[in-house]
Amino acid sequence: MKSTNEAGWDRIVRVLLGIVLLYLGWAGIVAGGWGTFLKVIGFVPLITGLIGFCPLYAIFKFRTNKAA
Amino acid sequence: MTSQAFADRLTSHPRPVIVDLWAPWCAPCRRIAPIIERLETEYDGRVDVWKVNADEQPEVVRSMGVIGIPTVVAFNAGKEIARKVGAGSEADLRAMFEAALLGEKPARRSIAPADRVLRLVAGAAIIVLGLSAGPSIILLAAGGVVLFTAVADRCPIWQAVRPRLAALLGRRDGSAG
Repeated sequence: MKSTNEAGWDRIVRVLLGIVLLYLGWAGIVAGGWGTFLKVIGFVPLITGLIGFCPLYAIFKFRTNKAA
Repeated sequence: MTSQAFADRLTSHPRPVIVDLWAPWCAPCRRIAPIIERLETEYDGRVDVWKVNADEQPEVVRSMGVIGIPTVVAFNAGKEIARKVGAGSEADLRAMFEAALLGEKPARRSIAPADRVLRLVAGAAIIVLGLSAGPSIILLAAGGVVLFTAVADRCPIWQAVRPRLAALLGRRDGSAG
């Protein structure tokens, strides 16, 4: 199993950011190409926040939580 | 070895036993082998490890009802205490050794309370968003999945299905490696 590399605050921020981005896209607040972009990209912080693992952090050997 | 001889050996063995069912072609088996060796050393004299090559002992595999490898089974006084199908983490395998040693089922790993709350809130928010945006099937499905992951550890159906899924995935990994 992949260990987490995000702290609790990091995960909450990502989930909130994901929900806001999805809201802006799916609720039609932002229309057109940007709206479509937000509809998709919003899932990225949401999923990485929910699973607690960020692939970019792993690539750059960075983490916001303490090593397990 | 016949299944009866294996069962007799298990029953008469003086110490708890971890039976590790593996095969040389199985990549997940090779992945957990060093972990099991490490734990075998750590539990030396308290828990014994029997490695069973599934290709060479098909009768034993059948009699144990093994649906895929790797499968690790914890026995205490000849009685099966716990079973782990698929390549488990060191924590999973350590829990199997403890289960064999104590003769009790390992404590079920549950989702941390903060994690559960985060998933419940996020799932509910996505569903509300999905309802207000159309409704959007994609968002409703995503919200449903997130909500389910918050309670999956308490779902008996998922708990029953998960080992079989793990075995299927493990078998696929094994045949690829």
